[in-house]
Amino acid sequence: MTPAPLVLDGLIVGAMLFAIGLVGILARRNLIVMFLSAELMLQGVSVSLVAWSRHHGDWGGHILVIFVLTVAACEAAIALVFVLQAFARTGRLDAAAWQSLRESNLPRVVDRELPPGDAVDMKFPTLTPAGVEPAIDEAAHLQREHV
Amino acid sequence: MQDGISATGSLLAVAVGCAAASVWLLLPRGESGAREYSSRRFGTLLGIVALTLFVATGHRLGGIGEEATFLVVALVAVVGGAATVVTRSPVYSAIWFALAVAGVAGVLLVLGAQFLGVATIVVYAGAILVMFLFVLMLAQPTGMAAYDRVSNEPLLSAVAGAVLLGLLTLFIGRLSAGPATCCAVPSKAKALAGSTTPVAPSPPADSTGSDPLAADHVARLGGELFGRHLLAVEAAGVLLLVSLIGSIAIVSRTPAEDGAGLVARRAGP
Repeated sequence: MTPAPLVLDGLIVGAMLFAIGLVGILARRNLIVMFLSAELMLQGVSVSLVAWSRHHGDWGGHILVIFVLTVAACEAAIALVFVLQAFARTGRLDAAAWQSLRESNLPRVVDRELPPGDAVDMKFPTLTPAGVEPAIDEAAHLQREHV
Repeated sequence: MQDGISATGSLLAVAVGCAAASVWLLLPRGESGAREYSSRRFGTLLGIVALTLFVATGHRLGGIGEEATFLVVALVAVVGGAATVVTRSPVYSAIWFALAVAGVAGVLLVLGAQFLGVATIVVYAGAILVMFLFVLMLAQPTGMAAYDRVSNEPLLSAVAGAVLLGLLTLFIGRLSAGPATCCAVPSKAKALAGSTTPVAPSPPADSTGSDPLAADHVARLGGELFGRHLLAVEAAGVLLLVSLIGSIAIVSRTPAEDGAGLVARRAGP
């Protein structure tokens, strides 16, 4: 049997999103980025479910994706509350800040000294200044009579 | 036949290997600025190579490239997802995730799920992502931290993802070759597979309106949701209410109550 067109492609895209999310949740240490990766895995599953729904020509996958959306919203609310509480206790969004919860036979995560980065990600967009800055009398500006 | 399958398999292996190497190069590994820049550039190049190989493999497996629209939105989704995972700054990560959600919504639209495409944008990009950004701004207003520049086991993670992706793709590719080997297929789907309609599987004549591509798609979806699955809808409503109450209950118990939080914060980094 051959599946309907685009079903296989949808399944492959879903698998790619799922694998990317898995890598993110395994590798990254920021709690927020880990949750974004989990949401990415849910998206991959949603794409797969819709593809299967198309293959079988019924509504099952669509209905299931609606419930996946609902559960994802609940999960995000609860998870963000936990992240906030964790941040309030440690002052960091670092998953390794909770490594005292690890198994006793596992090695400790030790942060090494980081070489200086070029901070490419920290360049934020700015607006180009336009026009001429008006001359403002500082004393008059601070003590004007009307607002 | 055997040669074709093995060639596709080796092409798939190369593609998956390139993807793993690309993700490993792109993941933060705490390198110095210049090395990081060059490895990121090389990783992006390798990622493009992997995606191209994947498109070629998928063409042999089932026919990616039939629909140019699907290809574009799928590329947006996958590239956005990969950038979400490898970007250092978590704020940029969240914004890349919004792009990935837009791509996924496009994929859902092309696959015939109109309502779900729109609902995904509304729920994810509109609500969940904004919540994530609120928490980020609240907790980490200075942007990137030291722990955003290093990963846990980047090599092992990339290899694990690549192995999973390769196995899934092989399994999916087997669906198109030969008879179904995975599971018992319902008779309705067999009837659909027999039909030769090019666009969508047309429903059987006695269908109760289960065609995802019909014109009154949303009305039928609503009928199905509030008809057959009414109890599940009620349960989902209860779940939403419970999670709302639970999150309020958890967040209103501040850690400062027992003093441990304040102590930990003062002693912290």
